[in-house]
Amino acid sequence: MKYEILEHPADLKIRAFGKTKEEVFLNIMRGMTENLRPAAERHGEIINQKFKVESPDLSALLVDFLSQILYFIQTQKIAYNNIKFDKFSDTEIEGEVEGKKVRGLGEDIKAVTHYDVLFVQKEDET
Amino acid sequence: MIQKKDFLKISDWLWEIPKSFRQDMQVPARIYLSETMLGEAFKDRSLEQLVNVATLLGIQKYAIALPDMHEGYSSPIGGVAAIRTSDGIISPGMQGYDINCGMKLLKSNATEKEIRPYLEKLASKIQKEVPSGLGKGGQIKLDTNSLNNILEKGAKRLVEQGYGEEEDLINCESGGCLDFADSSTVSDFAKNRGRDQVGTLGSGNHFLEIQKVEEVFDEKTAEVFGLFRDQVVIMIHTGSRGLGHQVATDYIKEFIGLMVKYKIRVSDREFACVPFNSKEGQRGLEASACAANYAWANRQMIAHFIRKSWKSVLGSNADLLEALYDVAHNIIKIEKYNINGSETELAVHRKGATRAFPPGSLEIPEKYRKAGQPVLIPGSMGTASYVLTGTKEGEQSFYSTCHGAGRTMSRHEAARRMSGEEVVRNLREKGIVIKYDSFRGIAEESPMAYKDINNVVGVVHGAGLSKKVVKLKPIAVMKGE
Repeated sequence: MKYEILEHPADLKIRAFGKTKEEVFLNIMRGMTENLRPAAERHGEIINQKFKVESPDLSALLVDFLSQILYFIQTQKIAYNNIKFDKFSDTEIEGEVEGKKVRGLGEDIKAVTHYDVLFVQKEDET
Repeated sequence: MIQKKDFLKISDWLWEIPKSFRQDMQVPARIYLSETMLGEAFKDRSLEQLVNVATLLGIQKYAIALPDMHEGYSSPIGGVAAIRTSDGIISPGMQGYDINCGMKLLKSNATEKEIRPYLEKLASKIQKEVPSGLGKGGQIKLDTNSLNNILEKGAKRLVEQGYGEEEDLINCESGGCLDFADSSTVSDFAKNRGRDQVGTLGSGNHFLEIQKVEEVFDEKTAEVFGLFRDQVVIMIHTGSRGLGHQVATDYIKEFIGLMVKYKIRVSDREFACVPFNSKEGQRGLEASACAANYAWANRQMIAHFIRKSWKSVLGSNADLLEALYDVAHNIIKIEKYNINGSETELAVHRKGATRAFPPGSLEIPEKYRKAGQPVLIPGSMGTASYVLTGTKEGEQSFYSTCHGAGRTMSRHEAARRMSGEEVVRNLREKGIVIKYDSFRGIAEESPMAYKDINNVVGVVHGAGLSKKVVKLKPIAVMKGE
């Protein structure tokens, strides 16, 4: 399972999984993008967008990254679903996201919040 | 974990968690609920969140939750924190991301009987004129200069340009403009998100409704407000769209980075804050004011599109739709209160709470001053909405009352339990015209996902926070394309 939707009365709450932190970032981005219900253009070209994020810690880094992606999606009308990381540390990431142009979005996400953000490493370190 | 034994019963409508409950509480936490509704409060984390609100630096008297309370993402939705400006903080998260999400009510001189033959056509026309704006934007695309004007002048700018009347500004909280707004405090990111969204509705629980006045509780106040039985009114629920969401995001991020400098710790990162009187705090307030102004402009533009649709369907001789009032339910307002015998300036943070100023308040239009400020409370889709009035007794909650019905379950659970088709069928069986884009969106807004609005309003009425004037029943619901 890449991600699952959890219950929250007001908002969208997502739990993502991965063998690496990079994979968690990718899967939670996909969870967010898919829940915006993008309506893909039939012959949409693939678009790449560079990003760079610096934050005080890993949790803030994830929120700030997703906030940046949300901004790109809403202003560029592109559904991003792939990431290539050039740099990854707990306080800084840099790379490119890849996605396709969309005709519109079926749902709105106002913002990404810090509420209940938690990284958990399982005993087998996955 | 909070349990019922931790509460003190203050009255049939008011409960208190004392300051001694947790060491870091600055003030007690107070919750407005009936005893029968109290059980619901333990089903999510809203009470724990309210206790966290009580720890904010500079908070005065009580952390407050209204009866539509439910779990949010720092404060409960339905929360109020009044913070002393001289030595307290400002917290964008305590206001919410949809800055100045709020309500506007337009009233006609027509009755339901007169409008029924045109209702389907009117609802379709309004649906077309006012898009949701999701991923597609609205009719208006602004250049930077025009956008900055709106950020600094709000609804005033729209009226200057001919998208409304002077009366619209008189009948609007703060005249539709917080004049200390400074557009230079708003990032280009936020401006880019708001450039094509003026005149759009958004999604989720945002809506337009054509309603009728079903019941009048207070004939005298109804007359002052210009409301009568069977009258057709139109309710607008929307906010500052992507611009406001981004302003909140930007300042929460900035304030997280500044808390070390100011030696501030918070119980939840979403409360990120700085001293109100700091340079950064004032910038945050000015940016928030810009977003609030944008929301008032948004509702004013939507009102213009509705008026255009009204004339188009009913003919150019149709009476103008007049604004009753426009009021926010996610906002930070600077207000003065008597605290321990001294008049004290407070930054009242309302998150899912509506201002309800009493009779005599100079902040409300002169024609309403004897009656009190109109308070606009939407119910869940297809149920009922209310117009109430502010009261002197409301000072106990910093003149704040509920903002809606309050969710009881997640959107996903609502969509699992009921299909959009079923919700639409139920509405149509009640004679309600419904215009929508997605069945899923409808299912998520099903009335069963919310508390009973009649119970919620019953609490604020019983507690004296605001008094019922009329009950409104929907006859058409429009959710935006």
